Amino acid sequence: MSTMTINGRVAPLPDDVDAMLIDVVRSDLDLTGTKLVCGAGVCGACTVLVDGAPVASCLMPARAAAGKTVTTVEGIGAEKLHAVQKAFMVHDALQCGFCTPGFIVEAAAFHDHWRATRGTATPSRDEIGAALSGHLCRCGAYDGIFSAVAAACSGQFDGGDIVSPRVEARDKVTGAAKYTVDIRHEGQLEGVILRSEIAHGKIAELDLAPALALPGVGAAISLLAEDRIVRFVGQPIAAVAARDRKTALAAIAAIKISSEKLPSVIGLDEARKPNAPVVFEKADRKKAGNVSEGAGAPAPWKANIRGPSAAFSLKPKQVRSWVERARQEKNPLLVEGVFRTGTQSHTCLEPHATVAHFEGDRLTVHASTQSVFHLMELIAKRYKLDHDKVRVIADHVGGGFGSKASLGAETTIAIDLARAANAPVRVAFDRHEELSVTGYRPASEVKLALLPSEQGGLKALSLTAYADTGAAINSTIATLARLIYPADGKELADFDVISNLPPGAAFRGPGGPPMAFAVEQAIDEAALRMKVDPIELRKRWDTDPNRLRLYEWAQGLDVWRNRKSPAEQTGRYRRGVGVATGYWLYLWQPGSKVEVSVKGGRLIASTAIQDIGTGSRTVIANTVAREFGLEPHEVEVHIGDSKLPVGPGSGGSRTTASVVPPTLLAIQKLKAAIEKNAKRKPAPGSNAPWRELLAASPDLTASGVRPEDSRQMAPGVESPLKQVGILGWIFGKMMRWMSNMVIGAGVPSSVQVIEVEVDTWLGHVRVLNVHTGIAVGKIAAPALARSQAAGSVIQGIGYALYEAREIDGRTGDTLSGGLEDYRIPGIADTPVIDVHFDEAGFDHVLGGSVGIGEVATVPTSPAVANAIYNATGIRPMELPIRPDRLISALKGRAAA
Amino acid sequence: MTSAMTTEFRAAGTDLSERRRSGVSKGPLMDIVPASDISGMNWGADGTLRIGAYTTIAAIAADRSIAAAYPGIAASALGLATPQIRHLATLGGNIAQRSRCWYFRNPHIACLKKGGTDCPARNGNHLYHVAFDLGPCVAPHPSTMAATLLAYDATIITYTRSGLSIPDVLGDGSNGTVDNLLQPGEMIRGIELPKPLEGERAFYKRAISRSYAEWPLVEVCARAVIKDGAFQFIRLTAGGIAPVPLRLKAAEGAVQGKAANALNIEVAAKLAMSGAKPLPMTGYKLDLLEGVVRDVLEKLGA
Repeated sequence: MSTMTINGRVAPLPDDVDAMLIDVVRSDLDLTGTKLVCGAGVCGACTVLVDGAPVASCLMPARAAAGKTVTTVEGIGAEKLHAVQKAFMVHDALQCGFCTPGFIVEAAAFHDHWRATRGTATPSRDEIGAALSGHLCRCGAYDGIFSAVAAACSGQFDGGDIVSPRVEARDKVTGAAKYTVDIRHEGQLEGVILRSEIAHGKIAELDLAPALALPGVGAAISLLAEDRIVRFVGQPIAAVAARDRKTALAAIAAIKISSEKLPSVIGLDEARKPNAPVVFEKADRKKAGNVSEGAGAPAPWKANIRGPSAAFSLKPKQVRSWVERARQEKNPLLVEGVFRTGTQSHTCLEPHATVAHFEGDRLTVHASTQSVFHLMELIAKRYKLDHDKVRVIADHVGGGFGSKASLGAETTIAIDLARAANAPVRVAFDRHEELSVTGYRPASEVKLALLPSEQGGLKALSLTAYADTGAAINSTIATLARLIYPADGKELADFDVISNLPPGAAFRGPGGPPMAFAVEQAIDEAALRMKVDPIELRKRWDTDPNRLRLYEWAQGLDVWRNRKSPAEQTGRYRRGVGVATGYWLYLWQPGSKVEVSVKGGRLIASTAIQDIGTGSRTVIANTVAREFGLEPHEVEVHIGDSKLPVGPGSGGSRTTASVVPPTLLAIQKLKAAIEKNAKRKPAPGSNAPWRELLAASPDLTASGVRPEDSRQMAPGVESPLKQVGILGWIFGKMMRWMSNMVIGAGVPSSVQVIEVEVDTWLGHVRVLNVHTGIAVGKIAAPALARSQAAGSVIQGIGYALYEAREIDGRTGDTLSGGLEDYRIPGIADTPVIDVHFDEAGFDHVLGGSVGIGEVATVPTSPAVANAIYNATGIRPMELPIRPDRLISALKGRAAA
Repeated sequence: MTSAMTTEFRAAGTDLSERRRSGVSKGPLMDIVPASDISGMNWGADGTLRIGAYTTIAAIAADRSIAAAYPGIAASALGLATPQIRHLATLGGNIAQRSRCWYFRNPHIACLKKGGTDCPARNGNHLYHVAFDLGPCVAPHPSTMAATLLAYDATIITYTRSGLSIPDVLGDGSNGTVDNLLQPGEMIRGIELPKPLEGERAFYKRAISRSYAEWPLVEVCARAVIKDGAFQFIRLTAGGIAPVPLRLKAAEGAVQGKAANALNIEVAAKLAMSGAKPLPMTGYKLDLLEGVVRDVLEKLGA
């Protein structure tokens, strides 16, 4: 048997010709810091050093490691933290942390080589970008990674202790952080799903016996509904659990299946044709998925078209006649166009994964979820179990972005298999599953008309949006245009176009980016035609006090003041500057409860929230620490467990606004109790009175529940729903009753100014710098908020320039099922990002803070598009603005 | 719907491992033993260079002598894949890798290269496919190194044959069922490069949407000797646009012997698309080809 030396120890290598190095590292040696993400050498999460060189362990055959020296992330900082690890911690060069081990291994190799050859010189952004070009981070922590690597190389982290602004950072940079995919119980089986290869059909025969007959198979179950109908390629049909993935795959292949194909229809255009096959008959409509964060309102539904959802319209008939008249009169100010956006995949680096484990009548579920508490409730309801018999745990979650908010197939299948096999079962999707069947932001076609009034106001705005929702409903794109830029009339209609594609899902500000892509470009165009500065026009048409302050800031930026006009630009490379605005709703979850205790002199805060990379652990730690005059790392934070007091889901940017107020209430109570129980007052003039009191305090506990907001609001601050009158009131009540979310007063807002460089020969766009102004109240964790803001911009750049799910229009197969065909931004695509926080506007919220995750990504794609227009005179009408589209537009060729 | 069960050679496995994981490749494997005759580089006394097939892409990219003598080869080695792949992947494996077509890579879809009867990309989604439609399969050949080696008139040595040109090994695109014409059991041992020309320079450029780590929409290698401001020698080859690497002879002809000025370069760039037959979705590749050719010729002329 051959061996390798790994992290200083000799380890045997398997004979299996198909065993990869990562299999040995993760499964045989349980070194789970090394992550499997793409399985294709694209993302770098599996990077290890082999004889000192960073390599993709997901592609390297295990036997090729014979006689070699291998170092994993666990071996990088084994004795003491590597300079790069310390730098990542201090510069907050991570969010969810799932890509971090791979980055650390590569960056450490780069650092060591750099120091050996270049001393303490500082590497440039280009040098760092090239060195780390084989790594992808979906959260977009690249900005911090640049700073961290540069600082480490220049010797700033050679010695000394450090403090990270993110409380769990050490576990993430050392590979110690355990994610759901890393959980392994004794006797655990691996679950794999048999999925439909046809877009629409009835499964006639399904014989699981041959799978069950194979050695090592613990269970094989049917997942078919009573009607045995499948409605998209990838719909689960059956699942098996076996001792390892290889055996499970063999069992899947052994299942006998036959199906009758039914007529299918794929995509926006085909599904709208009059005689298109119908995806959901009336009785089956409950089976459709949901692409929004809340429950949907009723809407007409005929064949594959559900809509219009037009409740947020205002004088729609008048709008139609005003626009028609303007068209007839050839009013040059009437802006019209059809804007198209692509299908964006969430692309969480940790796949959807669940480990289900029954012990007697108790069920423990480790899940990669955005909502430990709500998931526990959903599981209990589905399996008719008491709440105290179900426990959902998620210590660390490798990204969510909206796709892990509900009870997904990975969870129900893991539970069903665990029950059938009478053993713990893990289900973890592979990358193709992740990029095809876990949801997406639907592509859209938005028909827009914008009509300024003769006095220079906004007279009419009309949006008709068709969303390519697949086997799902409830898109709100046009609807969102009601809550910004008041007009004399608005005609807003949303349609879901249902087809035999996997269902879409909520994705970071659902509906917001496609709405902004259309509206913000139309405003830009109107400003050009009206010969008004585009920011000046927004100041005139927008009334929100938060955004008015951001406009003032944006107008003061040099890059904005110095921008040129398209006509001034010639030559191959052209630069342009664009602006756009975004908003999102301020949401919070009623009933959110936080417990704060002092135990053995130490502060502990607990709530059943989860940290998907957004920093909820740190927000709580900072809040507690600040009130007691301590450092955040002195506070223990217990989260990620449904046994803890009820906590909010990580969706709708609601976590900060849901947990900070109850934390503050709990602290207030705890302080009173501590003082009451104190035998001795702190010494007069003590500079750490609470430290003294805590040290002497008996164990005490207090809790707080999220209170209603104060009704005393700053001038102009109101619920955005007020603009919609009684319907808005009803909408707000529905959100609260059906989705357990309150839409609060005040509007989280973002204004971005973006500079691009267009290579007119190669249709390539480089985003040079981004100024993102954000108004979300007081910043609860500054370094992390900055990272969220920058990451939102980077994800927005992906949406603007690179990302599009590609399908086969005949079969409904997802073709972009790997990370080389589904293209997310890399570190070298990252612009210089300037984040400006305007902290006013939310004083009516206890603590003054609301969420940032969604609002910060809404304006990026239109700001990039407006910048491209400013550079080239070409108005990008379709996302992503890839080289094929841009070069075709530049050359006047009809795009594909 | 997998490849026929012939034995596949495995060098570093970077391409093969992915196909094993997805189930596209299921047949027997034979691991190549990195014997000395297929590893490393040997400079001949006559100024020629032999590079063993087992040499890694990273080693080629980092070699100073190659960068000096054959700068196009060093640049294309540095431009492909990612650092973690380049440290593993070999030259022979790069030339003999399989198609990147997303239909070929899907284990559930039949195609010509997997024993199927037609090319699903032709009437399907071929956004990243060929603009020179030379045969039944419309996937571009994936080897960046092959496109560059074509520009250098490199020859390939196998265990049974030698002196093979890139077209000898990769064909002319008319056989859509294969990615190369190597016989069953025939393995690449190495490549031989002729002595560089006096004063020659070269550039490599790929058009992609992001900054790095992306399969080329179009890639071009340009070699030239410029004397007295004129192209005394020019060689242009392109990848990513045809089922095989292409030599852009019409574009070469437009500047051969002529002044290296903007006008001649523009004419040559336009002529790069001579003979193109784009698919409905790939017309843009011709505009990119024009742009990339212009880019490398201007750099050569500068």
